[in-house]
Amino acid sequence: MVTKNNAEVVVIGTGVVGVLIAEQLLDAGISVLMLEAGPRVSRAEIVENFRNAPLGLKGDTSVSYPPAPWAPHPTGPTGGAHDYLQLSGPDSYAQTYIRYAGGSTWHWAGTSWRLTPEDMRLKSLYGVGRDWAFDYDTLDPFYTRAEYKLGICGPSNPEQQWPRRARLKPYPMPPLPFSPGETRFTQIVKELGYNNIPVSQARNSGMPYDDRPACCANNNCVPVCPVGAKYDAATALGRLEAKGAKILADAVVYKVETNGQNRIEAVHYLDPNKQSHRVAGKLFVIAANGLETPKLLLMSKDDRNPNGIANRSDQVGRNMMDHPQLTLTVTTKEPFWSGVGPVVNSGIMETSQGAFRSEHAGAYFRYNNFARNRFVTFAALKKGLVGKALDEEIRRMTACTADIVAAHEILPHPDNRLTLSDKTDWLGLPKPSIHYDVGDYVRRSAEVYSLPIGKKIAAAMGATDVKISPKFAQSKHIMGGTIMGADAMNSVVDTDCRSHDHDNLFLPGGGAMASTACGNSTITMAALALRSADAIVSQMKGAH
Amino acid sequence: MGGFLQAHFDDENATRRQLSEAKMKLPVSRRRLLIGSAAMAVGYVALSTSPAFPAAPAAAASGEALNAKFMRLSNLLINHRLSPAVGARIAEGAAADHKDMAAMMDQIIAIAEQKQARVVEDFFEDIPAGPAKEFAHWVIFAWYSGVSSPKPDAKVFTFEEALTFQTTSDVVTIPSYGLSGPNLWSQATVPLSQMPRF
Repeated sequence: MVTKNNAEVVVIGTGVVGVLIAEQLLDAGISVLMLEAGPRVSRAEIVENFRNAPLGLKGDTSVSYPPAPWAPHPTGPTGGAHDYLQLSGPDSYAQTYIRYAGGSTWHWAGTSWRLTPEDMRLKSLYGVGRDWAFDYDTLDPFYTRAEYKLGICGPSNPEQQWPRRARLKPYPMPPLPFSPGETRFTQIVKELGYNNIPVSQARNSGMPYDDRPACCANNNCVPVCPVGAKYDAATALGRLEAKGAKILADAVVYKVETNGQNRIEAVHYLDPNKQSHRVAGKLFVIAANGLETPKLLLMSKDDRNPNGIANRSDQVGRNMMDHPQLTLTVTTKEPFWSGVGPVVNSGIMETSQGAFRSEHAGAYFRYNNFARNRFVTFAALKKGLVGKALDEEIRRMTACTADIVAAHEILPHPDNRLTLSDKTDWLGLPKPSIHYDVGDYVRRSAEVYSLPIGKKIAAAMGATDVKISPKFAQSKHIMGGTIMGADAMNSVVDTDCRSHDHDNLFLPGGGAMASTACGNSTITMAALALRSADAIVSQMKGAH
Repeated sequence: MGGFLQAHFDDENATRRQLSEAKMKLPVSRRRLLIGSAAMAVGYVALSTSPAFPAAPAAAASGEALNAKFMRLSNLLINHRLSPAVGARIAEGAAADHKDMAAMMDQIIAIAEQKQARVVEDFFEDIPAGPAKEFAHWVIFAWYSGVSSPKPDAKVFTFEEALTFQTTSDVVTIPSYGLSGPNLWSQATVPLSQMPRF
């Protein structure tokens, strides 16, 4: 075993949270070592993987990101590690994330909805869930910083911004143009009283930003932006190294070591040769993904921490949340035409808010803007048509079908829980096991609220056929496993995402979120990361 | 549609599961696989130079003839301009899976010539149900989808040149290929009736 101690702060994970924190520390003159479980892969290789994949597999992200044996990531039913997550319960917590340098922002859509003030006070306002330990105004400046750091484009018209309240600064870039389908969808839902507004998104709009080019409508944000116009954390790795960061890929951290004062002393990682290494430091940040972080904490139990690291509250791995979603696939008479511009470009957010939240979840509706050829080509060919009739059928099905997605909020529940499976991975480390039930709060919403709205929208679109997904799918927005709170007895981290139990351990990211709201979680994770970074700098400079 | 393609659709899920399991057991990237394949090919040539060399010109000529006939067939089955390079890949894939491919091509071409067909609609209904018709459907399938089947282990002949994208090329992006310049993609909707020429 080799002991390495070449940085003041050790950051585990090179996704958006780890990268944002690392850069703030480097800018403050603090040395940083980053440990990444997976490989470091070029954008060109990922694009090549996507293009060379069979048409029927292009929706499976594992085709573009085949997992390394030592760093398996879940890949969904058609991927290469479909049994990495051991799932149980009434609903399936089937996630995908990426254990590559750069993390899961490689394949995020870039959607960056903020929480609203009400989203952070569910208990006070509606008597459900948890309140956050601070209010929206506390988070607001960190949202703004995150939006400038990632490069978020969005509307300047306050009526089209989310949440509808005065911004501290305008978005750094204007919104992106709508596709014909998005334009038509916006007109139709307006007649129903809903506002489909431009999504604030991490994509360069009309101009370069952060040394990355402008979006030129490749319509491939998921699984990979081929030109890097969409922010992903991989785009920052070279800059971090230029600032002095050391980044070790293929380093799978499997143990967090405490000392006699129950502070974190070191972490241990395995390399692809299954050799163990020890890395010491003064302060540690675990930002290894909403599932991998609680897994690592539970794996690291010791005599001083018999339930696992940071787990005096027994809340590590509990309260697992996401945005359970239902999709309405509609067939219309008139052409809508998706597949021009980014894959997600707008949404109806106001349906996520209201007094009804005391009874059931809110929902956010979006018109998916993926090019639909790959969804319809096989079905069109299966009809046995040839010649002009075949051409016309593919064109019709591409233009006249659309996916409307209703994404729901979910409440934290301790029984939605990640534990360690007795099944092990290639390195012999336990696989994550997750029990999950979206709960009556979500099911009631689908029954009395979200699906009725979705069906109303479909009817207004002139749908001749509507297919509704039979089960809730996951949105791959992993939240709650290291939940934040003021009370150390029922939460894992404090308002800076610092472990209640270990003052030199930070667990920032989606795991800390005390409520999910309906919008995608990454921009809130980024804001929390910057808030943690400030606290870490202050602590390292001796102010804490 | 005949049983050949139907079988592909029916057992798609089972094959996906099998492929997933295989990938779990042997996680090898496509790049590494290609590098490995290239190394194996070089090794094969080195080991087999003297017996294989005299036969190579004949094999090449045979391959060219097959490709030419396949393109002739494809141009009868599909009313569009077709890429010979893509056609060569589809022909190679077809030959691997259909030992009686040459005879089926002759049969279909003969029917088309007998009907003096100018477009596929002129003769397709005259192809009798059975292997030749299933093969004709498969050829069309391959050109439009760019793959040999909907299965996860399908052979990939092309992505960006798959004809499905040509039917919507006036509006829809081929994913990962840029459609226009920065923020220049605003456009009014277009009617279904304006089929692009391709």
